[in-house]
This record gives sequence, C-alpha cells and structure tokens, in this order.
Amino acid sequence: MMGIRECLFENEPAATGPRGSRLAAFAGNQRVILIFRIVLAAVFIYAALQKIGKPLMFADEIRMYQVLDRGPLLYVVAIVLPWMELCCGISLLAGLFMRGAALVLAVLNAVFLAMITWRTIGVMSAGGTPLMKVYFDCGCGFGATYAWKKLIEDSLFILMAAAIYFSPAFAFTLAPRRKG
Amino acid sequence: MKRFKCAISQAVVIAIVGAAAAFIFNAFSANGISPFRKIADVPVVEDEPAGGETGPAPEAIRAIDLDRFREIVDSHGVVIDARTAADYREGRVPGAILLDYYEFRRSFDSVAPYLDFENEITIYCSGPVCEDSELLARELFARGYTKLLVFKGGFEAWEEAGMPVERE
Repeated sequence: MMGIRECLFENEPAATGPRGSRLAAFAGNQRVILIFRIVLAAVFIYAALQKIGKPLMFADEIRMYQVLDRGPLLYVVAIVLPWMELCCGISLLAGLFMRGAALVLAVLNAVFLAMITWRTIGVMSAGGTPLMKVYFDCGCGFGATYAWKKLIEDSLFILMAAAIYFSPAFAFTLAPRRKG
Repeated sequence: MKRFKCAISQAVVIAIVGAAAAFIFNAFSANGISPFRKIADVPVVEDEPAGGETGPAPEAIRAIDLDRFREIVDSHGVVIDARTAADYREGRVPGAILLDYYEFRRSFDSVAPYLDFENEITIYCSGPVCEDSELLARELFARGYTKLLVFKGGFEAWEEAGMPVERE
C-alpha cells in the first residue's frame, strides 16, 4: 500500500521527458503541465470563492438540475463541494497531492458534464430550444452562459486534469525532493 | 497501478481536508446551514377575494395578487423584499424591508424588530418564477410567524404595472 508520505514527494523532474507520440510529449512537457495547473487552479479557486459562505444559494442552484431534492444530501453537497474545489485548486498551485487533485477534478468535471448535458437536453426537449441557444446559470460560479460553452469548457478541464494525472513527473512544486 | 493507488490516497486526503474545512467553516459562518434543516411544510393557497365568505386554512401562506399587494403597500403594511441587497438598492417597492433569503441568518436579527406575530407580513422576490419569497415565508413560518402573504408577481410585476419604485 502506497504511503501518503511517498505520494507527497512526487516532484522528480522529468529529465528524459516522456517517450512516445508528439501528443504525449506535449502533454508531458512540464511547462504545459504548469499552465494546465495554473488554469485549473484559477478557475476552481475562483468558482469556489463564489460559492463558499452561500450554501443555501448553491443548494438552490443544484436543485435546478432536478437530481437532488431538498434533504441532507443536497445540503452536504452544497456545503462541501466548493471546499473540495478550493482544496484541489490550492493543491495544484502548491504542487502537493497533484495526482489526487487532478483525479478529483476529473471526476467532478465528468459529473458536471453529465449534469449540464442532462439539463440541456431537458431544456431542448421542453421548449424546442436549439442546442446553441440553450442558456442558463449552471451554478458553477461564473453566472449564466450558453450550455454549449460550458460543455466545451468542462471537457477541456477533464483533458487538462487527465494530462496532470498522467504526467510522468512534476516540476515547479513546493514538495521537498525525495532522497535516494 | 502505483500511480492510481497514490492518486486515490491523495484524493482521500483532499476529500477529508475539504470536508473538515467545509463543516468547520459552515458551523461558524453567519450563513451556515444544517444539513438536516427542514423547510416548513405549510401549503401556499390563493388568497380569497375581498368579501369572500370562506377564508383559506389558517395554517397556510396566502398568495396575493397585485391589487391586494398595492392595498398593503398603500396602507404601510409590513413588506419584505427577499432579493439581494444589490437588487434592493437598485429599486424596490416603497417601504419594503430587505431580508435576503440567502443571508437569512445574518440579516434576520436586524429585521425582527419590524416583524410582529400578530400582523400580516407580505413578501416578494424578483418575479413570478423566483421561489425565494415562498422559501422565506416558510422560514418565517418555522419561527412562529403565521400571517404570511406572498406576492407571486414579484418586483417584475410591480414595476411592469407602473407602480412607484423606491431607489437609493
């Protein structure tokens, strides 16, 4: 079983770089990974700060998806989710627990993607609205926008998180170097 | 496999730290909520027109129309604006008191002196689609205020009807 301590010190520079396709080399480039980390961290820390301290409002926004009704599960999600986003953002910026943060963000974004798709289909079928004109506040922390934009955004976030997750090593971190 | 196990361990730590921070912050936040909070299960019924013989059930929130709402505003009844402070500053029903539903715990104590258990309290929010006036009414009902009226048309209907608007 991997120890947390061993997992924390994952900061060996990718001296030889990843091998394989150009795409893999691009995704494994530490500067690219750093940009992905900063983008994801900025997005999710901002999104979290819009929702932290407003659990009731966030709970109502979640309710708009008609998946969770008022009850303990809805309120727990409204209380905890923004803090999870904040922790993941801080992890990516600091370079600690990055694979875990990337995994959490990939899973969260996959859920968001499914929920937004579900709601978009609902709006399209209820009012005959074409996909490109479906417009609502997804409760993400950035206000109302076109659903197709959110779907593309969330897909990109998943790809960025996946690139971080699969990065062979990490540079630009606060974690101390592992000895030996 | 090593990578996945490591990521899972890290994700668990992030989840635990995030959840702990969330619940601690929620416990001390002015807007914190209990996950087990209950919304008062009281029906919202249409108000009887003036002179109607049978009134609605006493344990009910009454939905009123624009005419009735205007009478209340003209007679300086207690009217609560359940929207945000920014919306309130931008324009409100004359004499309305701000009590943002989402800031309830923070704001209620300052509004409570204006409320009376014996008198009617009328609440409105943005428009016919918003639920905040009804949700706020349920919160107040749970605190013992039973004479609650909700103007479903909200500020949108008030403004569209050309009624006076108070601004800062």
